[in-house]
Amino acid sequence: MSVFTSRPALRWLVPAAAAVVVVGGGAAAGTIAASADPTLPDITAAQLLTDVQNAKVDGMSGTVVQTADLGLPALPGLSGGEGGADLMNLVAGSNTARVWYAGEDKARVALQSTLGETDVIRNGQDVWIWRSAQNEAGHFALPADKGSRTPEALPSGVPSTPADAADAALKAVDATTAVTTTGAAKVAGRDAYELVLTPRDTASLVGQVRLAIDGEKKVPLGVDVYAKGADDPAVRIAFQQVSFDVPDAEQFTFNPPPGAKVTESGAKDVEKAAEEHEKAAEQAAKEAPEGSKVVGQGWTSVFVAKVPVNDQVTAVTETLPKVSGTWGSGRLLSSALFSALLTDDGRVLVGAVAPEKLYEVAGK
Amino acid sequence: MSDLSVRFLRSELGLIARRRRNQAGLAALAAVPIIVAVAMRLAAPSSSSPSGGPDFFSQITGNGFFVALAGLGVELTLFLPIAIAMLAGDAVAGEAQQGTLRYLLTVPVGRIRLLAVKYAGILFGAFLAPLVVAASGLISGLILFGGGAITTLSGSQIGFGSGLLRLLAICLYLGACLAALGAVGLFVSTLTEQPLGATVALAMLTVASFVLGQIPQLDWLHPYLLTQHWRDFGELLRDPVSLDGLGPGLLTAGAYIVIFLPAAWARFAGRDVTS
Repeated sequence: MSVFTSRPALRWLVPAAAAVVVVGGGAAAGTIAASADPTLPDITAAQLLTDVQNAKVDGMSGTVVQTADLGLPALPGLSGGEGGADLMNLVAGSNTARVWYAGEDKARVALQSTLGETDVIRNGQDVWIWRSAQNEAGHFALPADKGSRTPEALPSGVPSTPADAADAALKAVDATTAVTTTGAAKVAGRDAYELVLTPRDTASLVGQVRLAIDGEKKVPLGVDVYAKGADDPAVRIAFQQVSFDVPDAEQFTFNPPPGAKVTESGAKDVEKAAEEHEKAAEQAAKEAPEGSKVVGQGWTSVFVAKVPVNDQVTAVTETLPKVSGTWGSGRLLSSALFSALLTDDGRVLVGAVAPEKLYEVAGK
Repeated sequence: MSDLSVRFLRSELGLIARRRRNQAGLAALAAVPIIVAVAMRLAAPSSSSPSGGPDFFSQITGNGFFVALAGLGVELTLFLPIAIAMLAGDAVAGEAQQGTLRYLLTVPVGRIRLLAVKYAGILFGAFLAPLVVAASGLISGLILFGGGAITTLSGSQIGFGSGLLRLLAICLYLGACLAALGAVGLFVSTLTEQPLGATVALAMLTVASFVLGQIPQLDWLHPYLLTQHWRDFGELLRDPVSLDGLGPGLLTAGAYIVIFLPAAWARFAGRDVTS
């Protein structure tokens, strides 16, 4: 007290110190988690992949947070209203979902938004979709035989054990991707291995993909996608909190509340829809617009397609910067992870590459 | 000495409760949910447009319980913060303007204790205000629309009793949020001798904070905004309740209190009181 009485200005040190502690404390907590030492025994990528395929959990629940910072320009017409999950949040911002899982046929995902929630619940053959903002519930029953995925007899030549499959997968990607593992990750307070995929092709905008796998249970806990040269992930989906206790059965029971609009679709409708979808997909594959192709391979492949240009598309693309060169002219959407080019002659080029590569492909 | 503090606190709370403008303010807070309920009753067959209106409005006609939530949701952005801003403005600046601050300082308690009593008065208001809004909404809603099982955000139904518990928890959460605003208000109140200035400044701060929170380009700033997590009270309406979801809001509130109460002391303890 006496110091403060003789030198009143020193009093301001108290709130200032509190501010430093509060703001610095939050930042420090993040640093400690990031610089944790490797605590798990070394493991090869093949062994890790095998373990993941053999992993079996009876139940788990937790909170998954997805954040994205793609460095995209703000596009008009993409931000939704309050109460619903915002589409813009998927590319810039964050989404939170709570998940519950108890065996193959019991699962629930609750996508949370401020004062709203969208639930997808599967309990046996019943699947419910609930949207609180619309006060709407949809229900359909999965066909009994197709509901559970039974392993079918594998054709010869396909790896039959997880270890073989892991080896085959690693061999297949080896030409384009360096695969390493670390034991240093911490996700949701749990020690985790990281499977690090690094594109060998330096032209790719993707710097690294890091897959975090629980050290004990061997289930994936998160994915980080880093843009080249970036210290923070451009996209991150990870458990913020996770528990491996089997959730209560009541998490998976859903009865539409009175007053809600309920849409029923029977198993037949679902099958029909699936068939129609398949047909449509075949049709689409046959009628794929000319010039729809993939140029290049691996991480730097560029997808080229023709798009119909209508007013709606133009309204969005008009806000994008104009670019032109020997290849022609168009609009460019560039972000940390991918670039897209919409040429004035109606082609769209998309790839995880720098715009220059797109110009090169467009000029061919 | 502690006996004196208790008497001091009691006299402060009595002063707050007897002040005419505070009573009028509380009545205004209580009136909003009643107006909402009556308006929804008169415009009754709105069930054809179930997704219209702000949050919770569409559910009001089905269950009067939601009048309380709609009332809290509506008042949270302006009415409740203004009520706290009024209390905070009166706390120190008001006394200074009336010339009563120097008499208060003759009470043989230290300036720290004086501030503590003043903040206790603000806390009393911060927790009382949401309770009054919820109670008025609940009563008017039950009279006009009746009660019954409550639909959570997750689509499940909970009994009315556990719904009331959740409503109480929501009021406590909002009380904690408003208590943080009150800490900032107490600091602002020590800066000036104009209670209205302190009130307006705090109200503007709240509105500015809400506006900044809406701008996606400023998302790096959002975690530090006082009002950013106020609407997280919806976490208490999920099934199961997401208590983790309340963490960020309570942490933010705690951080503001920890910073601004010492700031108020730093300013007030060294201030020459001339009026």
